[in-house]
Amino acid sequence: MTRVLREIMLVSAKDLRIEARSRQTLGLVAVLGVLIVVVLGLGLGPQQVKSGMAATAVLWVAYLFGGVLCFEKTMAVERHDGALAGLMLAPIDRGVIYAGKLISNLALMLALALIVTPVAVVMFGFDLSAAPLGFVAIMAGGFVGFAAIGTLFAAAVSSTQSQGGLLAVVVFPVSLPLVIVSTQMMMRLFGEGEPLGAVGLTVLIAFDAVYLVVSWLVFELILEP
Amino acid sequence: MIAITAESVTPLTDAEITTATPAVRMRGLSKRYDERWVLRDITLDVPTGSYLALLGANGAGKSTLLHTLAMLSPATRGELSLFGESAARPSPALRARLGMIGHQPMLYRDLSAIENLVFFGKLYDVSRPKQRAMDMLERVGLADRALSVVKTFSRGMVQRLSIARALMHAPELLLADEPFSGLDVPSVQAVSALLAELHADGKTVILTNHDVRQSLELAQRVVVLGRGRVVSDRRAQDANADEVTREVIG
Repeated sequence: MTRVLREIMLVSAKDLRIEARSRQTLGLVAVLGVLIVVVLGLGLGPQQVKSGMAATAVLWVAYLFGGVLCFEKTMAVERHDGALAGLMLAPIDRGVIYAGKLISNLALMLALALIVTPVAVVMFGFDLSAAPLGFVAIMAGGFVGFAAIGTLFAAAVSSTQSQGGLLAVVVFPVSLPLVIVSTQMMMRLFGEGEPLGAVGLTVLIAFDAVYLVVSWLVFELILEP
Repeated sequence: MIAITAESVTPLTDAEITTATPAVRMRGLSKRYDERWVLRDITLDVPTGSYLALLGANGAGKSTLLHTLAMLSPATRGELSLFGESAARPSPALRARLGMIGHQPMLYRDLSAIENLVFFGKLYDVSRPKQRAMDMLERVGLADRALSVVKTFSRGMVQRLSIARALMHAPELLLADEPFSGLDVPSVQAVSALLAELHADGKTVILTNHDVRQSLELAQRVVVLGRGRVVSDRRAQDANADEVTREVIG
């Protein structure tokens, strides 16, 4: 187990080192995320802007589109110069590659959230202090499930000829149940002031578990050098 | 540059080779992409410690065969075993016995030469990976560029680094897909010498190549592929370059 964890961290650390050096992905998704928040904030007008609901919805849009870009970019690193074949040749389980990529994607999405969320707080006057832990719990649950699916489909789409935009088309419908559950929980938490229920969180965790297990199992089958 | 020369090596004798377990055993190996059969019913044994050159025109199936041998994609039909172990569900230990030099370098362009080698070394559980990486860089003549990122390298330097990556874990079977492609004359000589040295160490080498004469000089055995089938299979020393060339052209 320790060996597998070490291998996962190796793959993930390599991705993050490449990102730290090139800053291609984070720069791009940060600009996209901020643009989405600002443009939608301006477009919704002052009435909507003061609603916490609008803020969470807009944040989700920014996270989803930014996330898809993260998934594409981290897999594109492997496609350059056939690096993925080098990983596939190595004496490691294919699941290690999946888990390493998933952690890299989660780290990038977390960085995106740290940049975009304060912008939404300022832009929408969104009162995060009402339930900061609830916000973090819902977002974490949503991120894990979304990244689990996104990492899987990014690998599948990257081996096809039609990459541009295809990932979003595939990932958004599959992750829709997760997004609906997350936004419903946000509505109750920030719109109606209800506390975060155990049922909602359990459903979110169940979604995450299903997506993670299925993705881990399927990843080997869809991976092509 | 690599210091050794092709003349300095002493390959295994035929007797030594034939008594060893085959490094590669193919039985009716076939591979289909969509509706097109790229490999058809290939049956070959590659003894441990031998040096085999796969020749053939573009599209003959050489690279596909190497990819299949590397277990990067499964055969559609037939059986493949490496060192006596089935390649259908390869164990990590079996994968660790293989090294591959591909058409593409399989390197990360935003990492430095040494970062690339250390990363792959750790994946293969190489002991003292930094030291090993520096040794390999020394051998391929890139020690002075250890800290440079790969995207600043020339084609020849990338190819030499790719060879260092493939040899980081001292594989017992090296699959080299056109390793001389895009290299200048000194680099071709250096890579030839490195492959010859591996062979002399008892490693099995299978390479694909377009240069018939060079293949006959380097390898012990030449197999010509045509439209996914084995057209001929001979000892290099018995082969006539013109005849092999005619077979390659088809």
